[in-house]
Amino acid sequence: MTIAVHTAGPVGAAPLGSRPPGRRRTAVAGWLFLSPALLLFLVFVLGPFLAAIALSLFSWDMLTPAHFTGLDNFGKLLRDPLVYKALGNTFIFAFASVVTHLIGGFLLALGVNSLRNRVLSYFVRTSLFFPFVISWAAVALLWKYVLDPTFGIFTYYLGKIGITSPAWFIDPHWALPAIIGIDFWHTIGFTFVIMLAGLQTVPRQLIEAARSDGANSRQVLWNVTLPMMSPTIFFAAVITFIGAFQIFDPIQIITPDGGPDNSTISIVMYLYRQGFNAFQVGYASAVSLLVFAVMMIVTLLQFWGSRRWVHQA
Amino acid sequence: MEPIEGTSVPEPSTSGPHNPLNRRSALRLFGAAAAAVPIGGLAAACSSSSGGNTSSSAAGNTAASSTAGGATGSSAAGGSASAGGSSSAGASGGAGGSSSGGGSSPAPEDVSGTLVMAYLGDATQQKAFQALFDEFNKTYPKVQVKATGIAAGDWGTFASTISTQIAGGKVFDIVDVATEGQLLMSSKGVLEPLDDFIARDKAVVDDYYNDIDPHLKEWSAKYGSPDGKTYFIPGGYNTVCMYCNTDVFSQAGVDLPADTWSWDDFFAAGQQIKDKTGAFMLGIGYGFPFVDIMPWLLTNGASTLDADWKNPTLGTPEAVAAATFVKKMLDAGLSPKPGGAFDAASQYQKGKLATLGGGRWPTLDIRRLKMVDKTQIVPWPMQTKPGSPAGWDGWPIMKASQNKEAAWAFLKWIMSPDASKFYAQVGGTNVPARNSVASSSVFTDDAPKGTENLMKAITYATPIPSPARGTEVQNVITKAWQAAILGTSSVQQAFDNADSQLKPLL
Repeated sequence: MTIAVHTAGPVGAAPLGSRPPGRRRTAVAGWLFLSPALLLFLVFVLGPFLAAIALSLFSWDMLTPAHFTGLDNFGKLLRDPLVYKALGNTFIFAFASVVTHLIGGFLLALGVNSLRNRVLSYFVRTSLFFPFVISWAAVALLWKYVLDPTFGIFTYYLGKIGITSPAWFIDPHWALPAIIGIDFWHTIGFTFVIMLAGLQTVPRQLIEAARSDGANSRQVLWNVTLPMMSPTIFFAAVITFIGAFQIFDPIQIITPDGGPDNSTISIVMYLYRQGFNAFQVGYASAVSLLVFAVMMIVTLLQFWGSRRWVHQA
Repeated sequence: MEPIEGTSVPEPSTSGPHNPLNRRSALRLFGAAAAAVPIGGLAAACSSSSGGNTSSSAAGNTAASSTAGGATGSSAAGGSASAGGSSSAGASGGAGGSSSGGGSSPAPEDVSGTLVMAYLGDATQQKAFQALFDEFNKTYPKVQVKATGIAAGDWGTFASTISTQIAGGKVFDIVDVATEGQLLMSSKGVLEPLDDFIARDKAVVDDYYNDIDPHLKEWSAKYGSPDGKTYFIPGGYNTVCMYCNTDVFSQAGVDLPADTWSWDDFFAAGQQIKDKTGAFMLGIGYGFPFVDIMPWLLTNGASTLDADWKNPTLGTPEAVAAATFVKKMLDAGLSPKPGGAFDAASQYQKGKLATLGGGRWPTLDIRRLKMVDKTQIVPWPMQTKPGSPAGWDGWPIMKASQNKEAAWAFLKWIMSPDASKFYAQVGGTNVPARNSVASSSVFTDDAPKGTENLMKAITYATPIPSPARGTEVQNVITKAWQAAILGTSSVQQAFDNADSQLKPLL
C-alpha cells in the first residue's frame, strides 16, 4: 500500500495539502524528479503537438496574422495529388526498408553469431555498425560521389564489366531505389545489433533439446530461433517503420527538389516544403497530423497483428 | 524561388553539389541535383529601389519618424530631437542633417542606438559584411550594429529563417533582401515605406540614382512594391556572363569571342574543345535557374514568366528551343551528366572544364584558384538577342523596427560612393550599383579580363522572375527543365505541364 501511495504521489492523485508532511515531501520530491522529463515532454512534444492541431485550423505565413479557416487545410490535403505521391513514395520506402532491414539484419546476425573467432566477430560487428554513426549529410554526399554518373567509382567499375550505369539520382526509375540502397547501407548496422542481441537471448537449452530430438539446422531456425526471436523482430519492425516513414535527410540532400518527377519526395519532405518554402504553416501542420495519424494507425496494426505471430513469454 | 542572387554570398554550387563554390546554388537547391555548373557565389545583387517617390515633404518626414516609433527627427517636422537619441525609442534625431524633403536628417554623430540587421552570407561573406559595418561605424560611431549573417544556401532557406525568427518575436531593423524575396516581403506589409526618408534626403538619394543604371530604379518600383510606395534602396546587382578558361580555349585552338557569340559558335567550340583536350565545355544543371536556365531562355527571347510575372511562358517555341539546345549539348557530352558531385571549380582549375557561368561571385573563387590571368569573362552565347537575368539586393527598413532613424542612416550610408567602393574592395560578391564604382579600378582590379561585361549586361538584362510564391514557382520550373533536358519527357510536354502548374501560383 505504501508503495502504491508513493507511486501515485507525483501524479497528483490527492491534494498535497491533505497529506501528512512526510508524504507531501515525498510527493514534492517525486515531482521534482519527474520535472525535467515532464518539462521536455511538454515543451518539445505535447506543446508542439497541440500547436500543430491548432495551426492546422488556420492559414498562416509566419509574417502576417493567421486567419481561421476551419477544416479547409484538411480538405485541401485530400485534393492535393502531391500528397498522395509523397505518401506513396514514403510507403514504398518504408516497406522496402522494413523488409530489407529485417531480413538483412537477421541474416547478418545469424552469420556473425556463428563466428567462432572472437577478433573476427568484433571486427565484423564494428564494421557493420560503423556506417550508422556517420551523419546522414556525410553519407549522402559520399554516395553522390560514388554514384556520380560521370566520375563515380561505381559507374567506373560497372563500365569495366560492360554495364552502363544508370543516372541514379536523375532517373525517375532509379532515384528511389538508389536511396533505399543507401539507407540500407547506412542503417543496417542498427537492425543488425538488435537482431544479434535478440539472437543471443534464445535459450541454448531449447536449441540443444531440439537437436537432441533430431531437428536439423533449418528446423531449429524455423521452429526455435525464429519464434524466440519474434519479440525482437517485432520491435525492429516497429522502430524501422517509424524511422523510415520520417525519412528526410538523405532525400533532401541527394535529391533536394524531390527527384525527377517527384519520384523521391517523401511526406516529411513535402511537409517541410509547405511550411518553410511555401510558408503555408497551417497546411504543413495538417500534413504533419496526417503523418502522425498514418504512423499511429500502422503501428497499431502492427501491434494488433503481432498477437498472431509474436511469441509471448 | 530562386537563389539569391542578390545577396552577396558565396554560393554553393549552383546547381548543386557540383560546385562547392557557390552557395547560391545550393539553393538551388540545394543542390540539387543538378550538376551543374556555375560556381556560385554570391549572389547578387543589390537592389533597386524604387524609386520613386521622392515626393514627400516635410510632413512626410515626420510621418516617417513617427511611424518609426520614435525616430526623432527633425526639425522641420517639429521637433528636434536630441542628439543621440536612444535606440529603443527610435532613432535619435536631431541636429544635423539637411534635407530637402522638409525635415532634416540628424548629423551622423547624433544618430545612436542599436541596429539589428540580417543578411545572407557564409563565413567569408560575414567577414566582408563585418568590415562594411565597421566602416559604417566610422561615420556613425554611436550606432551599434548587431548583424546576423545567415549562411543559408539559398534565398528560400534564408527567407524561412528570417520568417521563423520574426514569428518568434525577433525584431529586425534591416534585412538585406534579394530580388527573389522583395515582392514577397513588401506584399506582406512588414516593410516601412521609405518615401518620406527619401524626400528628406533627396539630394543624397538623387545623387545615388543618377549614378546607377536606371533599370534598377525602374525594376524596384515595378517588382518590389505592390502599392507604388518605395520599400527598397537598391544595392549591388548580379548579371550572368561566362567565365572562360583561356588555357583550355588556347589548347583547343578555339578563339574566344571578341564580343558576342552564337549558340552554334558555342556548340562548335565545345565539340572542338572536347575533341582536342577532353575537357567539358560547361556544367549543365537545373537546380539554379539564375544560371542554369534563365540565360538560355533570355538569349532566345524567352523567359519563364511574362514581364508582369502574371503568366507562365515556358511553353513558347522560343523556350522549347532553348531547352532543346541545352539537351543537345548534354547529349553530345559537352557537359558531365547532372545528378552527381561534379566539382566545377576544381575541374575548371585543372583544365577539365572550359567555362563557368555566373555573375560577380565566381570572381572570388577565380582569385582563390589563382586563375585570374587565365580567365576571360564574355557575354553569354546568344541565339536571337543578348540576354542575362538580373538580381539585385534590396535594403528595406522593417516596419517593426524600433530605430528607423538609425536604419535610414545606414541606408543612406550604403548609397555613398565610399561605401560602394569599400564593399567592392573587401570582396563584395556583386556588381556595385554605382556605375562610377563598377567601372573603376576598385572593381576591375584583380579580376578577370572582361569583367566590365558584367556591368554592360545590366543594360540588356531581365529581372529574374520572382513572384510572391517564388519558391513554389522555382520548384515547378526546375523540375520541368530537368525533365526536358534529361529526356524523361518531351521538352514541349514538360513545359506545357509546367505552365499549367504555374498558372495557379501566380
